[in-house]
Amino acid sequence: MELFVIPLIFALVAAFAPKNVVRYVGLLGAVASLVVTIVHAISFAPEATVSLVDPNYITSFGLTFKMGYDGMGLLMVILTNVMVTIILLANLNQKIVNERSFNAMVLLMQFGLIGVFTAMDGIMFYIFWELTLIPIFLISWWYGAPERKQVLVKFFIYTFVGSLAMLLSLMALGTYATDFSHASLVAVTLSAKAAFWVMGGFFLAFAIKIPLFPFHTWQPSTYTVSPMAGTMLLSGLMLKMALFGMIRWMLPLAPEAKSEMTCLVITLGLIGIVYAAIIAIKQSDIKRVFAFASISHVGLIAAGIMLFTKDSLTASFIQIINHSLVAVGLFLAAGILENRLNTREFSQMGGVAKLAPKFAFWFAVIGFASVSVPFTSGFIGEFLLLKGLYGYNWIVGLVAGTTLVFGAVYTLRAYQLSMYGSPKIEGFKDLTWNEMLAFFIISVIIVVLGVYPQVVIDFVGPSLDNLFNSMQASNTLVP
Amino acid sequence: MDALIVVFVTGLISMFIAMAKKPALVLATAVTGLSVAIGLMVCQWSHPYTLVKYEGLLFDHNAIKYSVLAMSFALLVIVGGYSHFKKEAEHTGEYISLLLFSTVGALCMTAFTDMFMFFLGLEILSIPIYVMAGSKKRDVLSTEASLKYFFTGSFATGVLLFGMAWVYGATGSFKLAEIQAAISLGTAQGALLNVGILMMMASFLFKVGAAPFHFWSPDVYGGSPNIVTGFMAAVVKLAGLFAFWKLFTIAFADANAVWGGALAGIIILTVLVGNLSALRQTKFKRLLAYSSIANAGYALLAIINQDSQSQQNLFIYLVGYGFAIIALIVVSLVLDNESDDIEAYKGIGRKNPFIGFVLVLATLSVAGVPPLAGFFGKYMVFSSAFAMYPILVIIAIITSGIGIYYYLRFIMTAMSSEETENLQTLKPSVLHYIVLAVCVVGLLAGGYISL
Repeated sequence: MELFVIPLIFALVAAFAPKNVVRYVGLLGAVASLVVTIVHAISFAPEATVSLVDPNYITSFGLTFKMGYDGMGLLMVILTNVMVTIILLANLNQKIVNERSFNAMVLLMQFGLIGVFTAMDGIMFYIFWELTLIPIFLISWWYGAPERKQVLVKFFIYTFVGSLAMLLSLMALGTYATDFSHASLVAVTLSAKAAFWVMGGFFLAFAIKIPLFPFHTWQPSTYTVSPMAGTMLLSGLMLKMALFGMIRWMLPLAPEAKSEMTCLVITLGLIGIVYAAIIAIKQSDIKRVFAFASISHVGLIAAGIMLFTKDSLTASFIQIINHSLVAVGLFLAAGILENRLNTREFSQMGGVAKLAPKFAFWFAVIGFASVSVPFTSGFIGEFLLLKGLYGYNWIVGLVAGTTLVFGAVYTLRAYQLSMYGSPKIEGFKDLTWNEMLAFFIISVIIVVLGVYPQVVIDFVGPSLDNLFNSMQASNTLVP
Repeated sequence: MDALIVVFVTGLISMFIAMAKKPALVLATAVTGLSVAIGLMVCQWSHPYTLVKYEGLLFDHNAIKYSVLAMSFALLVIVGGYSHFKKEAEHTGEYISLLLFSTVGALCMTAFTDMFMFFLGLEILSIPIYVMAGSKKRDVLSTEASLKYFFTGSFATGVLLFGMAWVYGATGSFKLAEIQAAISLGTAQGALLNVGILMMMASFLFKVGAAPFHFWSPDVYGGSPNIVTGFMAAVVKLAGLFAFWKLFTIAFADANAVWGGALAGIIILTVLVGNLSALRQTKFKRLLAYSSIANAGYALLAIINQDSQSQQNLFIYLVGYGFAIIALIVVSLVLDNESDDIEAYKGIGRKNPFIGFVLVLATLSVAGVPPLAGFFGKYMVFSSAFAMYPILVIIAIITSGIGIYYYLRFIMTAMSSEETENLQTLKPSVLHYIVLAVCVVGLLAGGYISL
């Protein structure tokens, strides 16, 4: 219970805290939540499923309120808490117009995210899923770039319509199941046709949020106009909800349609990998480079998830965490550049490395993880995913493998254009302590996971086994 | 004493008290009367009762639930609109007593057990509204609204009466239970009955503003004073929809084959017309009117789906919708903008964060964003209709997706950083704050009665 209540309480406190301490209240909330999560994680046995809320009561329409976590869920909760802490830490020295609403919204977002990752009931999942949309919309709306309005409306409508499709799928499933708890929904056996539509509804919601290739048009502009914290939340955590949703909800609930959808999703993922990477190379706006890079990277993860084997899912989790770290790190760097130079254009950057050597160093570390240099988490994740895709079909593996080449090109190009070259600017304040600390935490996790990815494998392995077993028990697994 | 009589007598008393030219006194009378009536009604929960010596009205659990809701909405509208009544102090009494009389009609419409009482209730509900719609005497639009509502409303009433006559001819009774028995035993005259039912349905659809009987509603909503618009959207719609539910799921349930298909077509048309027309509106109350047309379509989904849940689903839907509409109307009263342009709401959120918050909450609730009351209403209605009418639900969900666009546009206008000059006079009174706070509680907690 305390897992997701703490951010909510601190969100309320932050909304009324005195102006000069509110940023520390927000950070304190995130840290408190992180500490509680770590306490949970220490006493957690990986094969267990811990119930957080279970009133043992079913409402007239089948809502059971069940919340809980297994290894996968807890891993995502830890990720959420770490990332929100980093995001608030990095924003400590930012000038923000109304800090109360900013901190309250970030913590509300954290509450929603933890809810999404711990929901064990379809309706609860949907409610928390929608709940996250409001704070992120308001953060971007209040603190974003001047040209934000059109962009954010598009973003809201896009994602809301996707969610409605998911709601439709849940309703359809609900007509077969006794209630909406995860276990009952998994136990439902659907006809191939029904399963296709159910999975289709979920897929639309998730494909828009991830975003996969033809549904991505909202993403680059939304990332660009959002403020630093907004972009970090969107790329670092919000899209992970959708990837997690694919693993926890979409595939286990309608596995009968998996064989039909696998080919489609992998194809879309591959198109995204290549198409977005090529576009990323030609961008003149640093945030747009990283936005398209994100589309390219998550295409690979989505393709890996669709294989739905234990190895590919484990690899997907490693890559989910890695992508979170890298995206937050890169957008932090982009945000620092944007805030200090008041521009996102490469044409007005250059030579920063000389003026701010510390920044150049930490930016490079994140960049290395982005191009999957060995001993960073990026290498392990991408390597395992590509291995899985080779096993599926060698042509798929080959096309997906181009991500390594393209990734190096656009990341290094962005780094080179912004950090080296003839200086076009005077005076660039180097990193402050909080930014340095944020970069440091991200880098440490990147390296630890790169050297010892077994942590993640130990965490998610047993719970993946449980998932497969429960699907097997209801005769719905078609591996 | 009966709650119905209490409300009626309160209406009478407030009319006479108004002669003292003390608006506050009238308000106090109305609030006391309605509160007493609500209290009496709640106390009656465990023993349903009928009016003495006449069984046309039966306050059973359903009727009590809807009556209490109708009276609470009426109370909120009256309290929220008080600062507006006060401007024309000499007319305060008439305004408030007319609203109370109309509420009496709403109570009759929730508790009727025969068609005669239902017809009386409908007329008692409607006639004060015809008057109220035209209460801005010097305003052309208000007069137009009043006339339009009166003419089309009278015509619909005529059709309704004619339909009742057919049904009476077919079944030989005015009583719902006897009509039901006649239909299920097959003793009713088929053709007579079918014509009667369809005529009654047409007139009902007119009252709740479903397409293609909706043409009056944007003009009437737009032209009427804001308080009356709020009352129509919250109370009149509630009474109309519940009476619709009662007649068609009790009396005409077994004739489902006659009206089910027609109603399904009407629902599709209504949600499409409502949502698509709302996209390009520039006036606040016309936007509200089209949104309420669309919402009537969603509520009709609860009626067409005649399972054991449908009454409860309709109730939750109306709770969410009513609180949201009243909150929006009170915001519009606070703003007190003559032109009624949506543009006039620019910057209201920055000027007064609490009002902005209420506005966002109410609009999102109507749009159906969880975890607000509106979401639960929509969800319950959609999910229980899904098994029987999947196509209808899919269309309803797609149109909700369209709807999010105009709701969001309204929110964005309200939350924008520019300010218009008319916000200088934005001074909500304590009563406004009270009503808005009640609405916020209703919106946040309203959905949980479904659990």
